[in-house]
Amino acid sequence: MQHAISISKLSKVYDSGLAALQEVDLDIRNGEILALLGPNGAGKTTLISIVCGIVNATNGKVSVQGHDIISEFRAARERIGLVPQELHVETFETVWDTVSYSRGLFGKKPNPPLIEQLLKDLTLWDKKDSKILELSGGMKRRVMIAKALAHEPKILFLDEPTAGVDVELRKDMWQLVRRLREGGVTIILTTHYIEEAEEIADRVGVINKGRLILVEEKSELMRKLGKKQLTVELNEVLETLPEALGGYDLDLENGGERIVYRYNSQAERTGIGSLLADLNRAGISVKDIATEQSSLEDIFVTLVEESR
Amino acid sequence: MNFEAVKAIYIFEMARMRRTLLQSVVSPVLSTSLYFIVFGAAIGSRIEEIDGVPYGSFIVPGLMMLTLLQNSISNASFGIYFPKFVGTIYEVLSAPISFLEIVLGYVGAAATKSLILGTIILATAHLFVPIEIRHPFWMLFFLVATAVTFSLFGFIIGIWADNFEKLQLIPLLVVTPLVFLGGSFYSIEMLPEFWQKVTLANPVLYLISGFRWSFYETSDVSVEVSIAMILLFLALCLGLVWWIFKTGYRLKT
Repeated sequence: MQHAISISKLSKVYDSGLAALQEVDLDIRNGEILALLGPNGAGKTTLISIVCGIVNATNGKVSVQGHDIISEFRAARERIGLVPQELHVETFETVWDTVSYSRGLFGKKPNPPLIEQLLKDLTLWDKKDSKILELSGGMKRRVMIAKALAHEPKILFLDEPTAGVDVELRKDMWQLVRRLREGGVTIILTTHYIEEAEEIADRVGVINKGRLILVEEKSELMRKLGKKQLTVELNEVLETLPEALGGYDLDLENGGERIVYRYNSQAERTGIGSLLADLNRAGISVKDIATEQSSLEDIFVTLVEESR
Repeated sequence: MNFEAVKAIYIFEMARMRRTLLQSVVSPVLSTSLYFIVFGAAIGSRIEEIDGVPYGSFIVPGLMMLTLLQNSISNASFGIYFPKFVGTIYEVLSAPISFLEIVLGYVGAAATKSLILGTIILATAHLFVPIEIRHPFWMLFFLVATAVTFSLFGFIIGIWADNFEKLQLIPLLVVTPLVFLGGSFYSIEMLPEFWQKVTLANPVLYLISGFRWSFYETSDVSVEVSIAMILLFLALCLGLVWWIFKTGYRLKT
């Protein structure tokens, strides 16, 4: 099956000697939402910039729906829309003009009804004749999204789309992303906000120090790496853990009122049954129990720390 | 060929001229009128004819060239520098367009603006002095070739400049002196022999001389040499622009 984007052995060394990407291999499927996570300076933006033609790669190949980004740059680029991280917008032009300009730049004939719909979808319609200079930061962000979508791309890159954006716009953005996906658009977003990836991504890729550490279905990732913990509230304060419970990974918390048991939800035997039985046998009286699953954020932090 | 993109850039750039109509059009017309008052009326009344052409009429081609060169460079350099400065260049770089199309859009718009200005200057000059154009075709050739060449040159400056000072540096320190010393306001025959020879090293001399020839059939150097020189500059600038896009100089990291 042809991929939306196919990246092989992609490397980038900047003139300063900084190796921003090291032999990255990544296949992005048509129609999926892929979230690229990674700390600042991990290489996320460099990766996107190479695919979009803004940065030259040092080594490696990239193709967009089968079209090489160098030898078939026209076919590759017209499929892509990019919303960069920084707020780069013209200042004195009107919203309508700048969005129409973007469409022309990508070789598409003017289509006012489409631009109108786009501006309405992004709640920019009543600002269409305003100069961009007069807009708020959030509105400028919307303008950049409208510009990226003006030529009806098949693939959309959102580089930190919700950095410094208020809750309302963030929710709007998520809705837009889902709607675009329903229309068959492949979406790649980079983000710091793990809850964003958790909320909307199908797959998650983690980049650190120019290396792609892993790419995994989000649910699979959480299942594989997700640790669960069982919290046992006690009726009586416990000074120390009884020796009989030495075989479990336990912590005594909250001044001895609570026992926390960490276990792997993937394991065949979670050990919960025997733990409870052992607690009973040791004469410890249980008030309440609860289980929690670790979030994508915990997983991410663990992964990045492991790759250090 | 991505015509829609060329059109989009061209229209976008021309829109900027409309927004800044006052400074784009009114100020060159004003400064030309001032030149006429100072050189034409005040000083010109003391200068006899040059090669049978009244002094006021003699300086018209030089004045047009002065405006053409300055405006081609400033329009084109600003046109490409500004997107670099505010960061919107990302969009041009990520669009499915070749370097030729980018140049056609930006340089085409800058050259168009200069040509409009040149025409306005000619019309303004016509109010002050009698003008005769003996070779309209060659006059148009020099006008267009100069506008395009120096818009290309401005485009190169705009890409090279990484701050506003650099943007002003070459026009101010190199181009303006060359234009003034290239015979805009005099025939080089009026200079001592040594300085005549020095002036021959000034590329702008050939442009002004050829352009003036198309008006009055008088020139400092032969018109063939002028035509060859302008084509040479054009080729040089094209070569440089091609190299810039090939290497991504100052555009891509």
